[in-house]
Amino acid sequence: MLGNSPRLSSFLEHYGIVVIVVVMMALLYATRPDVFMSLANLTNIIKQNATLALLALGMFVVIVTAGIDLSVGSVMALGMMCLAVAAKAGVPWPIVVLIGPLVGITAGLVNGLGLTVLKLPHPFIMTLGTLNIARGLSSLITEGAPVSGLGREVRYLGQANYDFGIFPPPTGLPASLFVVIISAVGMWFFLNRTSMGRHIFAIGGNTHAARVSGINVDRVLVYVYAISGFFAGLGGLLLAGRTDSGFPLAGQNAELDAIAAVIIGGASFFGGRGTVLGVMAGVLIMGLMRNGLNLNNVSPFWQQILIGLVIIAAVYIDVLRRHAAVRR
Amino acid sequence: MKKLILAGAALALMTSTALADKFLLDMKGPGAGNPFWAAVEAGAMEKGKELGVEVMVMSPPTESDVAAQIAQIEDMIAQGLDGIALAPTDPNALAPVVDAAKAAGIPVVFVDTKGTNEGVTFIGTNNEVGAKLAADYICGKIEKGSEVAILQGIITQSTGQARASGSKAGLEACGMKVVAEQTGEWDRAKGQAAMENIITGNPNIKAVFASNDNMALGAVEALKSAGKLADVMVVGFDANPDAAASVLAGEMTATVAQAPKNMGAFGIQALVDLKAGKTIDPVIDTGTVLVDKSNAEQYK
Repeated sequence: MLGNSPRLSSFLEHYGIVVIVVVMMALLYATRPDVFMSLANLTNIIKQNATLALLALGMFVVIVTAGIDLSVGSVMALGMMCLAVAAKAGVPWPIVVLIGPLVGITAGLVNGLGLTVLKLPHPFIMTLGTLNIARGLSSLITEGAPVSGLGREVRYLGQANYDFGIFPPPTGLPASLFVVIISAVGMWFFLNRTSMGRHIFAIGGNTHAARVSGINVDRVLVYVYAISGFFAGLGGLLLAGRTDSGFPLAGQNAELDAIAAVIIGGASFFGGRGTVLGVMAGVLIMGLMRNGLNLNNVSPFWQQILIGLVIIAAVYIDVLRRHAAVRR
Repeated sequence: MKKLILAGAALALMTSTALADKFLLDMKGPGAGNPFWAAVEAGAMEKGKELGVEVMVMSPPTESDVAAQIAQIEDMIAQGLDGIALAPTDPNALAPVVDAAKAAGIPVVFVDTKGTNEGVTFIGTNNEVGAKLAADYICGKIEKGSEVAILQGIITQSTGQARASGSKAGLEACGMKVVAEQTGEWDRAKGQAAMENIITGNPNIKAVFASNDNMALGAVEALKSAGKLADVMVVGFDANPDAAASVLAGEMTATVAQAPKNMGAFGIQALVDLKAGKTIDPVIDTGTVLVDKSNAEQYK
């Protein structure tokens, strides 16, 4: 259905998702030309979606192995609470900023080991367990009270903004954007240029074949969940910085947004397929949609419905694209 | 002597738990999850001690887990008890189980959130009046005809509805222009994001009413990073300790205090009265107070 040009088809295969992002931006520009392309609004979109981008990167590695990590939202909250309490207790900031990611890695290791050592039948189960455990721990730490006032250094990654002398003050490039870019490039390199990365794709493509060909599948899976946990913890550090607070109910349902972004970005739920660029585009699509609907004062109920429709539509377009590619 | 008193106290405690009337306070969310519920719980426990009755406190493990709350109440009715003070997660969903309790001869009162059952007393804040109080405060501080915004809670909940409509009515009544109404779902990060979008689309707003303090504090962060905190006044609702500190620091301008301790205390008192065969008012207001720099210290 996409015509017979193999070059067009290959272009769409790799960059079709980016075309969707551009189309969405054009649509938003058409509805609110005065606001949408303003520097302030573009800065907002970046700031509001940095955490989701990190969660989605972690979720992506897991989904490439045909797994799932439901615990990311709760683990993010746990990392946030731990670092907020530590900051309040006067722990020096270089240690505080490490706490978020370290809590995340620990939770991820628990997920990975639970999956491989306990041999639970599906990661859904192990991470559903840790979703609840981490959320409970987050509330337990302070008996549910939020913790505010974290200090400038701790807040830096989540809050700093570089105007480079060219942007008018409230606008600019947020530090969180650079965290996301570095994370995305690092993830691309890891998945495409290291043997571990190739093993991850191999496991997702066909676990049995990967095992037979000598890949230590269990070891790779433990790493994969630790990576996902790391990004959840880093997301917690960013969100804590942005809100100047740790609150135990942070990131509720964030795992579902992360899964949606990864799937919209073209990764296969059955593993072995997807790109970092696609995931970033998926995050942008979710973010642009929320931003556009908010700017147009669309009711939150309609927003939910539209997001649901976009998830279905995005994956359906992907299915059509794939059919076209196979028939050729 | 001291030992004797302790032994006496222990004995009194044991006998009282064995013989005293047993009342249940079932809240929307755990006291450990939210200082508000912790205060409701404390009020009920203190009142219970004062009146010499046993008070059990329960809640669903997470706020708004309707099914868990229904199951809890069903279990407690089966065990038998002398009265239930209920903060329903969802009034309609909880209505049948409230009817079941009444059919079993167990008195019920609603605290915090009004239920739908006829003839059941409601003890709590009039949220519309509270939100109007905040709106009137804003009206007194900024020029008539100014652009203002409202950060809504979850408006499928009656509290979210009442605060949204009460503030809107109040602001419009005094001639303010409500240019944006967006939800932050009671959440600090979501409130912050909504506020960022509001000030981008409406750069001239002079005030925002946030339906709870979490969102108000998020709005403060959004205004700070946009360099607009001096131009936009932020009024919240709940008077939680963080908000009180923010008011004292001159960031938030004001907030509205409910009296959660009264809800717990009045709830238990009402049940004891009902048990004794007295009649009680259909609505008992626990009151709201405007909190600004002059009185924020006591809420810290």
